[in-house]
Amino acid sequence: MAATLAAEPITGGFSFENCRRNASLEKMGIKPPTAYKTGTTIAGVVFKDGVVLGADTRATEDTVVADKNCSKIHYIAPNIYCCGAGTAADTEMTTNMISSQIELHRLNTGRTPRVCTANRLLKQFLFRYHGYISAALVLGGVDTTGSYLYSIHPHGSTDKLPYVTMGSGSLAAMAVFEDGFKAEMEKEKAMKLVRDAIAAGIFNDLGSGSNVDLCIITKDKVEYLRPYDEANLKGVRQGNYRYKKGTTAVLKKEVVKSMFEVVKTQVKTTKPESMDTT
Amino acid sequence: MASTMTSDFAKPDWLNAEHETGTTIMAVQFDGGVVIGADSRTTTGILINVNQRDRAYIANRVTDKLTKVTDYVYCCRSGSAADTQAIADIVNYHLNFHKMDSGEEPLVFTAANVFREMCYNYRDSLTAGIIVAGWDKKKGGQVYTIPIGGMITRMPVSIGGSGSGYLYGYVDSNYKDGMTKDECLRFTANCISLAINRDGSSGGVVRLACITKDGVERFLLTGDEIPKFFEDY
Amino acid sequence: MEYNGAAIIAMKGKNCVAIAADRRFGVQAQTVGTNFQKIFEMGPRLFIGLPGLATDVQTVFGPYFVEPVIAGLDPKTFEPFVASMDLIGCPMVPDDFVVSGTCSEQMYGMCESLWEPDLEPDDLFETISQALLNAVDRDAVSGWGAVVYVMISLKFLTKKKTRYKRH
Repeated sequence: MAATLAAEPITGGFSFENCRRNASLEKMGIKPPTAYKTGTTIAGVVFKDGVVLGADTRATEDTVVADKNCSKIHYIAPNIYCCGAGTAADTEMTTNMISSQIELHRLNTGRTPRVCTANRLLKQFLFRYHGYISAALVLGGVDTTGSYLYSIHPHGSTDKLPYVTMGSGSLAAMAVFEDGFKAEMEKEKAMKLVRDAIAAGIFNDLGSGSNVDLCIITKDKVEYLRPYDEANLKGVRQGNYRYKKGTTAVLKKEVVKSMFEVVKTQVKTTKPESMDTT
Repeated sequence: MASTMTSDFAKPDWLNAEHETGTTIMAVQFDGGVVIGADSRTTTGILINVNQRDRAYIANRVTDKLTKVTDYVYCCRSGSAADTQAIADIVNYHLNFHKMDSGEEPLVFTAANVFREMCYNYRDSLTAGIIVAGWDKKKGGQVYTIPIGGMITRMPVSIGGSGSGYLYGYVDSNYKDGMTKDECLRFTANCISLAINRDGSSGGVVRLACITKDGVERFLLTGDEIPKFFEDY
Repeated sequence: MEYNGAAIIAMKGKNCVAIAADRRFGVQAQTVGTNFQKIFEMGPRLFIGLPGLATDVQTVFGPYFVEPVIAGLDPKTFEPFVASMDLIGCPMVPDDFVVSGTCSEQMYGMCESLWEPDLEPDDLFETISQALLNAVDRDAVSGWGAVVYVMISLKFLTKKKTRYKRH
């Protein structure tokens, strides 16, 4: 395809060197480890002065809660943020990569990046991988032309809407939005609506849980509230379960002094060698 | 790991499913221009299992399937949302370039053939049924259909998407050569409404547009404005 | 993961951090060795634990079947740090503990009930050891004692080996 705004750095890409071995291991009945998934509720609304993005904070690994307080609202640019659902590694890497391209573009042009640019880069990146990169995103931001909110699906289709939800809890969250959304809301109203939508996901979807994170982007300010609301507080421990010192039988004990100690760091610059022009 | 849980709730399979514009789209040519129309429903490609029943989730109920390619050429998208959006973006890029290169508005035929080229070359990996419609000073209003394999044909009227199956008889009996712009708009609105009522994958609002030498006029029919037919079964 | 079996935990304490691993090396149900190295010293006050397919543990990188656990102290501030990753490298940096291995569910259960904030090095040692040992007792493919590393900020590094739990 024609040159994108900032070319993607050419890296090794995926490595397939162990695929055949891994396939034969699987044939032997050995299960491969499972990747972290963010069975997620993420959502966003456009309000009078900007956008509010919201996310729950649960990361799952099969049926186990792998992380009770993970961060799903990713940074793209100072004025653009992006919520991610799907395979945690994919959402993390995708948003990081696009963020770096946007930053290079910002440095090249000297302009505030636009939300539609981030959207286009994300959809073209995901489309190239035919949905194998499972990142479902909610992209929101404010630029010189206004406030925008996009939903981006793993196959690379996008929708520009005033209110969107994504992830396994999106049905519960969308029900709250369809009930309570109004155009041109005040900030407090919008925050309350997004909180309620995420809470609906947390309480009704087993893949979502823990806290509510919010990110409010307006023309000249970004508020990243983490956590905004703790929907599931852990109970206070009633007894003392601490083991007495010496409970564990020790066979051997070694005390090793750390070999290195950073006392002082010095950075030296060396002159680059002059180019060979002969 | 030993587990009695068989359902894989953490893996929202429908989330990863390709989005389809299970659609009704249409285009009619008249003397001096074209009328295009579409419903506005985008559904998840596969059905999700809710309470032992398979249901599709509406990912977007106000989709705009009438996508601008140049100032005088639009396309109506059906099939995979990701594929058709990507194709439309690429064709838009090519025609912009062509317009700057030649200094003239691209012909509808040219635009349709750029679409065909994409749809044919990538026929094994794309799910896209596209209607290209527009106006140019050489041939006036034109409608080109590019179904899934990547062939192309010019028609005075064309329907597409999952909802079109309910419409062939209606179109055959009601289309007349030489209809005016208003008659074409009414005819298209009627078709989309009928398909919305019969096809579960089509729904939402009725989007219409009219392309003439004066540019594009867009219309949106919601609620009461959507034409009504016999419903008292 | 189930082919060789492993259990690794890393935990934060007060100005200290600990990482522990079981010592079994097996091929499915058969135990082959009982002093297999699963924790590797990457630098001063920095260790990583690699549970997973033993051949990959000894090669690392790429699409290998390992789920790494990282524990260390910041070289300058001595701030404790624990993290874990899935097989494709998604980092998870919590402020209490991380677990990885074939009995992760048991380890999660033990850690959730035993861990508390601001544990002193000795208490941290008991907590991490008991969490691991009790967890591997309910796992067929990990066990045979444990190796525990406790890193403390007083320019010291303590290494302890344990075999059987005693109450």
